[in-house]
Amino acid sequence: MPERKRIPLVWGLAALAAAALAFYHLYHVLIPFLLSFALAYVLSPVIGLFEARGLRRQVVVVALYLGAAAAAGLLANTAANLALGQLQEFKSQGPRYEAKTEAFVESLRVGLNARLPFGLRLRRPAVEDVQSSLMSQAQNLPGLVLGVFPVLSLLFLVPFITFFLLADGQASIDALIQRCPSRYVEQALHLVSEIDASLGNYVRGLVFVAAAIFLASFVGLVILGVDQALGIAAVAGISSFIPYAGAVLGAVVGGLAAGFQFGTLAAGLKVVALFVLIRIGDEILLQPFVARHSVKLHPLLFLLALMVGGDLFGFVGLLFAIPVLCILKALTRVLLAWYASEAAGPAAPEIADAAAVPFV
Amino acid sequence: MLKTFKKLFFDPQIQRKRQFLKSLALFRDLSDRDLGLLSQALHSRVYHSGEALFQEGDIGRALFILESGKVDLLKGDARIFQVKPGDFFGEMALLEQLPRTASAVAAERSQLFLLYRSKLDSLLHYHPRIGVVIMSHLAQLLSARLRRVSAAGVSEHAAARDA
Repeated sequence: MPERKRIPLVWGLAALAAAALAFYHLYHVLIPFLLSFALAYVLSPVIGLFEARGLRRQVVVVALYLGAAAAAGLLANTAANLALGQLQEFKSQGPRYEAKTEAFVESLRVGLNARLPFGLRLRRPAVEDVQSSLMSQAQNLPGLVLGVFPVLSLLFLVPFITFFLLADGQASIDALIQRCPSRYVEQALHLVSEIDASLGNYVRGLVFVAAAIFLASFVGLVILGVDQALGIAAVAGISSFIPYAGAVLGAVVGGLAAGFQFGTLAAGLKVVALFVLIRIGDEILLQPFVARHSVKLHPLLFLLALMVGGDLFGFVGLLFAIPVLCILKALTRVLLAWYASEAAGPAAPEIADAAAVPFV
Repeated sequence: MLKTFKKLFFDPQIQRKRQFLKSLALFRDLSDRDLGLLSQALHSRVYHSGEALFQEGDIGRALFILESGKVDLLKGDARIFQVKPGDFFGEMALLEQLPRTASAVAAERSQLFLLYRSKLDSLLHYHPRIGVVIMSHLAQLLSARLRRVSAAGVSEHAAARDA
């Protein structure tokens, strides 16, 4: 039988370091691929359910895309009509909103002036100041419009890449296993399974939480009578893909919207209280459910990963900090299990003691 | 018409894989849908002639199912069994992660399916029916092996006593 050589650990670590360095320099290019991987992860179990019934994977993916396209068209049409209606309302109610905003800012100024120590006073903002500020912002408009293009390109690129990832399914993993030296096949499978278990469950849990936060925010904002309930709930739901961000953004945007709409501080505070309740509900009701099915990480590790991710890669770093942490945890677990079994020797199962009794 | 529809929408590869899995004693009582779900948990790999699947003493982590080709099970340099298509081996790895008691080498170009332990755990969690059927068949297989070893031990003991 041919003697097989082991690949030294140092080569594995060097390859990992080289990959990390390449990622650091190329992450802008990889953003659409990362987002596509995440989307494919969320959708693949749905495709798998139909594939298990014998349907061609490609047929299911095409059907899913056609359905999504129809839904997106319908949604875009509804959103356009809604936006048009709101624009018209804003046009007719514009002066009223302006007066309300002015009254709201003035009441805030007077309230704060009454409480400020050492004779400090807030000056009433002159209309000219606001106008010049708006004009200076208007000069940045072309840059802002150009800044939207990468986002639009993502809207086309991500579904395009996701299509191929979904259509390929497990074939790409099997191709990887095929190229893996036979000695390491079982270890490679171990790693793939661990990453799949923790990352897949985390991403699916995240989608579940986002949907729940969107729904709870929408219902709460409708009850409070906030005009832009759908938009604010969507902001809260989508931003919850970054841990802790959903409730904070929802509270800020919703609080400001309610404050301007009703012209009172109390209305804004009610919305903030709603998002505090949603955050507590998320922590008590949803997170235990999500954590049970995904990796268990210490909250401080969570925070550290977010800070490091945000510092190194900005928004993308915040979005992918926890999934990367999941992968690192799976990698560590596999390496430790590998070391424990190969170096320290395998442990006999506890039930082995029962084997002393003769079987009859 | 119906034939064209089936050809267009249904994957013959999945059908073939399901038929193959159904023929194995380990997956006998599973429905077509269960077999479809099970096939998603399996990884496929081709081993070339002379390529080692694992060596004696390696920690076992997966069950191997031979779809085509031949695989030799070796103890040292001696062949103790030749695995044929439709046979499976290394099933103890699904129960405990202990060293393999023999080596496995492809005797010719062979196509195998691998079921990794954590995939079985995942099936047990999300599709308990499938997991329970597999575990039940595994227990029956081990019981049969135990009885065979026991019978061989008794006859060896009797032969030694008669001598």
